[in-house]
Amino acid sequence: MRAAVLALATVVAVACGEGSDPSMPRVVILGLDGMDHELTTRLMAEGRLPGLSRLEKMGGYAPLGSSIPAQSPVAWSDFITGQDAGVHGIFDFMHRDPQTMLPYLSTSRTEAPEHVLRLGDWQFPLDGGKVELLRRGRAFWEILEEHGIPTTIVRIPANFPPSGTASRELSGMGTPDILGSYGTFSYYTTDRLAFLGKDIAGGKVYTVEEENGVIAAELVGPDHPLKTIREPLTTPFTLHVDPDRPAVKLEVGDEERVLEEGEWSDWVTVTFDLIPTQTVSTEARFYLRQVRPHLALYVSPLNLDPMAPALPISTPESWASELAAATGRYYTQGMPEDTAALAAGVFTREEFLAQAEIAGGEVLDQFPWVLSRFDRGLLFYYVGNGDLVSHMMWRPMDPDHPAYDAEKDAPFADVVPRVYEEMDGLVSYALDHLGDDTLLIVMSDHGFTSWRRTFNLNAWLHQNGYLAVKDETLPEGMELFQNVDWSGTRAYSIGMNGLYVNLKGREKDGIVPPSERGALLTEIAERLEATIDPETGSPAISRVYLRDETYTDGGQREIGPDAVIGYRKGTRGADASALGEVGKEVLTDNDKPWSGDHEMDTPAVPGILATSRPLKRPAHNLRELHASVLAEFGVEPDEAIPGRN
Amino acid sequence: MSYVNAALRPVFDLLLAPFAGLPPIVSLIVVSLLTAVLMLVVFKRTSNQTALAGVKRHIHAGLFEIRLFNDDLRAILRAQGEILRHNLTYLRLSLAPMVWILPPLVLVIAQLQFHYGYEGLRPAEATLLRVDLKPETVSAGIRPEAALDLPPGLIAQTREVWIPDEAELAWRLVAEREGDFEIGVRIDGAPLVTKTLRVTRRVVRLSPVRVEPGVLAQLIYPAEPPLPADSPVQAIHVDYPDREVSALGLGLHWMIPFFVLSIVFAFALRGWFKVTI
Repeated sequence: MRAAVLALATVVAVACGEGSDPSMPRVVILGLDGMDHELTTRLMAEGRLPGLSRLEKMGGYAPLGSSIPAQSPVAWSDFITGQDAGVHGIFDFMHRDPQTMLPYLSTSRTEAPEHVLRLGDWQFPLDGGKVELLRRGRAFWEILEEHGIPTTIVRIPANFPPSGTASRELSGMGTPDILGSYGTFSYYTTDRLAFLGKDIAGGKVYTVEEENGVIAAELVGPDHPLKTIREPLTTPFTLHVDPDRPAVKLEVGDEERVLEEGEWSDWVTVTFDLIPTQTVSTEARFYLRQVRPHLALYVSPLNLDPMAPALPISTPESWASELAAATGRYYTQGMPEDTAALAAGVFTREEFLAQAEIAGGEVLDQFPWVLSRFDRGLLFYYVGNGDLVSHMMWRPMDPDHPAYDAEKDAPFADVVPRVYEEMDGLVSYALDHLGDDTLLIVMSDHGFTSWRRTFNLNAWLHQNGYLAVKDETLPEGMELFQNVDWSGTRAYSIGMNGLYVNLKGREKDGIVPPSERGALLTEIAERLEATIDPETGSPAISRVYLRDETYTDGGQREIGPDAVIGYRKGTRGADASALGEVGKEVLTDNDKPWSGDHEMDTPAVPGILATSRPLKRPAHNLRELHASVLAEFGVEPDEAIPGRN
Repeated sequence: MSYVNAALRPVFDLLLAPFAGLPPIVSLIVVSLLTAVLMLVVFKRTSNQTALAGVKRHIHAGLFEIRLFNDDLRAILRAQGEILRHNLTYLRLSLAPMVWILPPLVLVIAQLQFHYGYEGLRPAEATLLRVDLKPETVSAGIRPEAALDLPPGLIAQTREVWIPDEAELAWRLVAEREGDFEIGVRIDGAPLVTKTLRVTRRVVRLSPVRVEPGVLAQLIYPAEPPLPADSPVQAIHVDYPDREVSALGLGLHWMIPFFVLSIVFAFALRGWFKVTI
């Protein structure tokens, strides 16, 4: 009996893989989203990134080639699978359904229950709905786990819901808020004229009334899943406004907070009642922006509660709450830095940076705890703060940017370098706390640069006779191809870099015979590459990547666009075009707060790779790095890795 | 009631002190065992043990009759009627000891709630301090003069928020270190009133509210002495997080393992104490 117990314990220990083999390599990867090679190199030369400088001396530092296109979900999927989008099936943040011409999120899909019992206004699911990860191909941690190597994967993008194939996982970019969006904030104000007539993307503005020092309002959740009619779940909250001082007491359910003007709350649990025995738990942070003359309260997107997530966010399921219990509650939404609030004018730059610091600080603060529990095998730890701050704060570093305003921008010129310093602090911490036997890999998925000029691809297609509209007189703002005449359209664009042929037999109203597809794409590519930006006198597009020549035929290629546009450094596709709108002008100055970007031609925006010792198998791009990581454990990748981009 | 609480508080503090650094389920097992023993002793002394044994025999006889004559519907129905009647008798016989058991049990539960119902605050964890004023001491449109007297290590992160409709003042406090703190509150120059605040990971008595004198208030909130009767303050609240006791991998309210364990121990020990229950 005793022998049997010992044998069982041995099997369990081996199965768990931890502490079983002291000779097992230890590899820690820090994934620093959007860390740009050019800027990093400059800051290292200035002595501002001592951690990375140490790494350069220990093992090396070099640019790392990104994916085609250089978008985070695509790039991380390249690294995760060691394959291109033709295999992993992620070509963009969004794909389109050729039968409906509507976009959908490329990385995950939520399916409602197939069978429901309807009783009047109520419906009761008879089976479970599901959330499906759409990334295909085998992740490097899945391969390692099969070889008995334990892995911990924290917040790697394109991994929601968590794959379930690592020992521990926490999902990151792609994890929605409770509304199913990438993050929808709420803004409560007593000012009836605030944002009147303005389009607020990524948030909702609610006008509220103060009565005898009390403001009663509601937090709005998702639609009631048990109702047949669309009816959002709501939960009330109350603000008691101090009659003399700029401060309030906030009451949400059983939770109470005191907030002074300009203060952020900690995480507040927000619960929505479904039926008497069932609730949906979320969490939010409240920011009291102003008390008088008008109250203004920002409420963060309602995040999935890490203590009781309504959707799967970790492996094992309890790990998300274990992390929260140990280090405090945290943003579970994949991209927590609220760029939408800044873009909408709900936040000032200072307020955005304060919010970004909270979100980024949580990730940095969790690292020591995660690292302290790392024993053997592989730990991947992702930091996304640098990417989203760079998007919003790049212009202050670029006096040549068309919207640069020295007075307003100059005070923020050092914001991005300071974020780099914070990330470098993480590198130094890891180096100081890891033994010599541990390999530290610091990498980024792509670089960054200034986004100065905007290219509206649908407008170009229209002006060059490839896309027809129903009514030339209609104003701009008709998203999702509302003004597109498909009977006269041969090509269209949706997503940040994607160009599609309106193919007969594939698209709902396709008109281009498959036999003409190749010639049409070649023609469009040549003309696009010859397009000169009159402002710069240079080509606006460096290269057009034809799908069939660019991606492996790995079973997913048909999902992707027929061509991917590699915009010249400094030029990026227009948001409007990405959402299926046909603009009036092709090339315009970028005057948005979103002023840094990377969705340009891949060679123009390399990321970084730094290691604490030379890699057994050198890597020049993300796909090669997949194989390099496996090689450190003596494991071969599934298939030969294609060559450099 | 205040005197009863004043006597019970040190008893429970002393009883549970050796277990303060251990997981709460450990001391709950001990407390449940002691409670079970106490209930058995009281039950034995206050119940008619002979009558109870007789009634139980009758109930067993009825059950036996049902099994024996399971093909005789009339006999089964008659036996079920007898079982029901004897069950009612059993309940009646149990009432008298319950009258003796319940009052001390309520006092025990009230004390235990403040040892197991809340978790101590952690250093740097913010909490809300709320001071409820007696409505009759508040004049419309006049803000009370409120002052906090905080010991070293305890910081008010905000000034007070005044909520006239609820006659309430609220502050956000945070402690820099573990320890026991006494918060002083002075309203409109009245004598200082105090409230305890504990920052600790140990299982100790925590008082989320100090209330004004009164039998019911003291029965429900026995963890701190009442406020002075002549104070303008009606109650002082400190928010402590609710505690869940970890048992069998589940996070439970402490009363669930307490009652389950007490019943299990009572049944297990009834033979040793020669008690019919």
